[in-house]
Amino acid sequence: MSDVLNLTLKIWRQANSEDRGGFQTYQLSGISTHMSFLEMLDVLNEQLIANGEEPVHFDHDCREGICGTCSLMINGQAHGPDRETTTCQLHMRRFNDGDTIVIEPWRARAFPVIRDLVVDRSAFDRIVSAGGYVSVNTGNAPDANSLPVPQQDQEKAMDAAACIGCGACVAACKNASAMLFVSAKVSQFAVLPQGKPERDRRVLRMVAQMDEENFGSCTNTYECEAACPAAISVSNIARLNREYLRASLTSDA
Amino acid sequence: MNSLVRALTSSVGKKFVMGITGLLLCGFLVIHLAGNLLLYVGAEQYNHYAHSMHSQEWLVNIAEVGLLALFAAHLFLAIRLTTENRAARQQRYELKKSKKDDPTTDLHADSWMFISGAVVLAFLLVHLADFRFELRDLDDVAYKTTTASGEIIDKEPFDKAVALLKNPISRWVYLIGSVLLAFHLSHGFASAFQSLGMSHPKYNGLIRVAGIVFAFVVGIGFASFVVWAYYLE
Amino acid sequence: MAQVMASTLDSKIPDGPINEKWDNRKNELKLVSPNNKRKYEVIVVGTGLAGASAAASLGELGYKVKAFCFQDSPRRAHSIAAQGGINAAKNYPNDGDSVWRLFYDTVKGGDFRAREANVYRLAQTSNQIIDQCVAQGVPFAREYGGLLANRTFGGAQVSRTFYARGQTGQQLLLGAYSALMRQVDKGNVKVFPRREMLDLVVADGMARGIITRNLVTGELETFTANAVVLCTGGYGNAFYLSTNAKGCNVTAAWRCYRRGAYFANPCFTQIHPTCIPVSGDYQSKLTLMSESLRNDGRVWVPKQADDSRPPHEIPDEERDYYLERRYPSFGNMVPRDVASRAAKERCDSGFGVGDTGQSVYLDFRDAIARDGIDVIRAKYGNLFHMYEKITAENPYDVPMRIYPAVHYTMGGTWVDYNLQSTIPGLFVLGEANFSDHGANRLGASALMQGLADGYFVIPYTIGDHLASTKFDAVNEDHPACASARNDAANRISEIMAVEGQRSVDSIHRELGQILWNYCGMSRSAEGLTEAIDSIKKLREEFWTNVRVMGTGEGLNQNLEHAGRVADFLEFGELMVRDALNRNESCGGHFREEYQTAENEALRDDENFCYAAAWEFKGVDEEPVLHKEELTFDYVPLTTRSYK
Repeated sequence: MSDVLNLTLKIWRQANSEDRGGFQTYQLSGISTHMSFLEMLDVLNEQLIANGEEPVHFDHDCREGICGTCSLMINGQAHGPDRETTTCQLHMRRFNDGDTIVIEPWRARAFPVIRDLVVDRSAFDRIVSAGGYVSVNTGNAPDANSLPVPQQDQEKAMDAAACIGCGACVAACKNASAMLFVSAKVSQFAVLPQGKPERDRRVLRMVAQMDEENFGSCTNTYECEAACPAAISVSNIARLNREYLRASLTSDA
Repeated sequence: MNSLVRALTSSVGKKFVMGITGLLLCGFLVIHLAGNLLLYVGAEQYNHYAHSMHSQEWLVNIAEVGLLALFAAHLFLAIRLTTENRAARQQRYELKKSKKDDPTTDLHADSWMFISGAVVLAFLLVHLADFRFELRDLDDVAYKTTTASGEIIDKEPFDKAVALLKNPISRWVYLIGSVLLAFHLSHGFASAFQSLGMSHPKYNGLIRVAGIVFAFVVGIGFASFVVWAYYLE
Repeated sequence: MAQVMASTLDSKIPDGPINEKWDNRKNELKLVSPNNKRKYEVIVVGTGLAGASAAASLGELGYKVKAFCFQDSPRRAHSIAAQGGINAAKNYPNDGDSVWRLFYDTVKGGDFRAREANVYRLAQTSNQIIDQCVAQGVPFAREYGGLLANRTFGGAQVSRTFYARGQTGQQLLLGAYSALMRQVDKGNVKVFPRREMLDLVVADGMARGIITRNLVTGELETFTANAVVLCTGGYGNAFYLSTNAKGCNVTAAWRCYRRGAYFANPCFTQIHPTCIPVSGDYQSKLTLMSESLRNDGRVWVPKQADDSRPPHEIPDEERDYYLERRYPSFGNMVPRDVASRAAKERCDSGFGVGDTGQSVYLDFRDAIARDGIDVIRAKYGNLFHMYEKITAENPYDVPMRIYPAVHYTMGGTWVDYNLQSTIPGLFVLGEANFSDHGANRLGASALMQGLADGYFVIPYTIGDHLASTKFDAVNEDHPACASARNDAANRISEIMAVEGQRSVDSIHRELGQILWNYCGMSRSAEGLTEAIDSIKKLREEFWTNVRVMGTGEGLNQNLEHAGRVADFLEFGELMVRDALNRNESCGGHFREEYQTAENEALRDDENFCYAAAWEFKGVDEEPVLHKEELTFDYVPLTTRSYK
């Protein structure tokens, strides 16, 4: 395998949210296989600037796979071909010399494109503000060890809490459903004793907000799980369904 | 009550109803298949089963209304959800590839639920026209028979079934319908459990396998009648 | 030499013995009555641990809070990337820990350049932080019995670090973010994402608002308030390559500096010893491998220089476990500055490994043999996974290769004990201030400080300012707002007007090279003097030859970067000046001229036991130095030893 790649990039360009947008094709040569995918785009942007063209806009920040800012549909796959990997952790050694790479933004009615590959994911924040928390004011907490939590419950909560909120689940789902995201937050608090007092209200409100944001519904295809860089399991979706059913049938709300 | 309606019309509630109606329809399939298997036991037994069922016509009517409601709900929600889900994407991808690496999902039954459901619906309509409303042929060959005395009477259920199953149009519709039904069930059965919140690492594998076995049994079961009738002298 | 002013700085340290100071202060502070709180508006800039916890806590109290971040969501602030853990003096493991010991370790770890009273308060509040986070549902690691687990971090001989796998920062931030979103839900806080603070509004000598650029529309917006709380993190990205997120910047803090807030100890930067080494000139950032790895990993290089054998072919007797050799009592768990310098020393002497010779081994062979691969996987699985993703090497089979990288900045805006800067009404929290870590921060202490400031300090101290100040009405049309808005607009048009040849990124990289070479792990008067010149020239080049594409309207990431680099180019010079001024070695600041015979840092308490707070006098003017003398009444000034 050679250490240097020549690539054709087919990238979605869109000047702003009103613009119709379309694909532009770029040639890129001499890309080291050790580069990350975003470093490859950095090289492209330097090249564009040198030619007096506008650089491609894409969201990114920590570049170590935890902030959830980077996105990108790469050859039809959210965050590219690797499992449990964000775009910033995807490296060019996964590609071959001569490849054509198609890069698109996340597509969902709830995630409008702002520019090029940058989308607006504030719908996620609104869902969290609809109950994705434990109502405890600063300074009221009892000693941390006064409430033992079985280790397996804590592990389950942690598995769910590992969600980085990138939106790959929505992007990969054929229905643009946000169920994996919402269920991860609901699950984290549903399995922990701290979350119990508000569990009914939380699940009802968060689902209502999710629907209001125009995400699709879950048809259990599990593409979200396969695309999730944080390995969030669809068992959380079943837990959300269970919590929702329980809350709908038994709560006073 | 208001809150219950709200719950049922939410995205999660709709999927819940979808799952429940789907599973109940699966129950109907089991009963229907079991009854039909009497074809293999013999004409007498099959006719007896059919006559005794229809001896309580009001019960049949209630069952029919129930089934109709289940189908209607399942169908209505399917259209509703599919429309909403298409709208949620808004703009399609230029290129879209699965990231799942499970080989059993290569057929992507989960992506074809609306299409497979529509074909099953067509099959169902033909089937109802055949057996329930007796609209198959205008000269009543399938439904009536002439006795030795020249009197025209209704055929016995067994004979009616065989005659319809031997019909070339029905044969293909039923064969394709059964295969697509199996395809539909291969995702639908297990999916319903997930929608109802029934998921546990200990049982998930079992539910998935059960769904596939169920799909095969139902598909092969119903398709077998066509093959059996074809070779029946 | 810099102009030095007689100290006008009042650090407002409370009276009384150190363990009573914070209580005494809380009792003295004026209160705002519950009904009046809703009449006060507070701006919080930044939504990391300090910002999110501050905004949430102030919202809970009833203040009207506006929270700003440049990211698309408050949850993405870079606190999220902290891996290892958070310290607290809970003494759950019964290994002799106490508030006193945490205080002592932190003062010593900071090489006696932190303010004692602040550090003691930090240690005191550490326990409440853990309680608060657990109550929020933060899934800290637990033992089978259901109680919380601890691990060890550098610079300590007790296990006091709480953690959530290798994602402690993420979980703590999501906890603070959820508290913040709860206040959004209740209408007490309004969040403004994708906003960059471009200036501070100072009216009648008080911080009364900010100017932001709406990064989506490009519009300049004015927000006014009764107080501004700056929680904008550190300036590590001045080095271009660092473990910071790409967006981290000094702009907000720098704009405040230019409006009169003193900037303290900018040369105190932390170079973290365990990062994945640079692999090529396209490198855009460096990735940290948590310090917790040093619990089980052993650091070594070959004893023979330029040994090119693969690591597993080098027998034990030909390996130099140099940290264990030089520092037998702390071994691999020495503080970060010590470990980083030791790695640099080995590599500079020709013992480094890898293609570039600029890395050392961090080897898990012995730990895997001792505990089994499953135990190691359970502890560090996600870190090993990340390492393999980046390097395509499997650390279960071959040792990791690591090298130090810029990670954290101890320096920051000068604040008094109440976390108020020299501009009344401007409070500075978390990494953005300078007060708690001295010249070196111990592992797992940054999360502690961010949350202590946000949850447990600012809610008390801001009330005092609000209650004791008479506020004139300030709205968008106030001359101070109009002039700040004008300055921000002009700066953008000036950048856009250059229309030169060089990309912003290339200039940023060059600045990073200058700072890393002359103001990195080791510094000299000669190099620093040269660096000042180089930075000035580069700044000149920026303003005459930078090329920024697009326009000021709408989303323009190129312009955002340009604005940040413009400020780094001014800030970098201050950092170098501070390093040049400090003729001693302490913590992360190592001056080649000042070292012991054994190459350890040589502190000069006689002349430099102070915090250097710089006052802005103009971009091309020399800043004025104000000294805050540091006194150590409780932890006697001694030479740090980890031997």
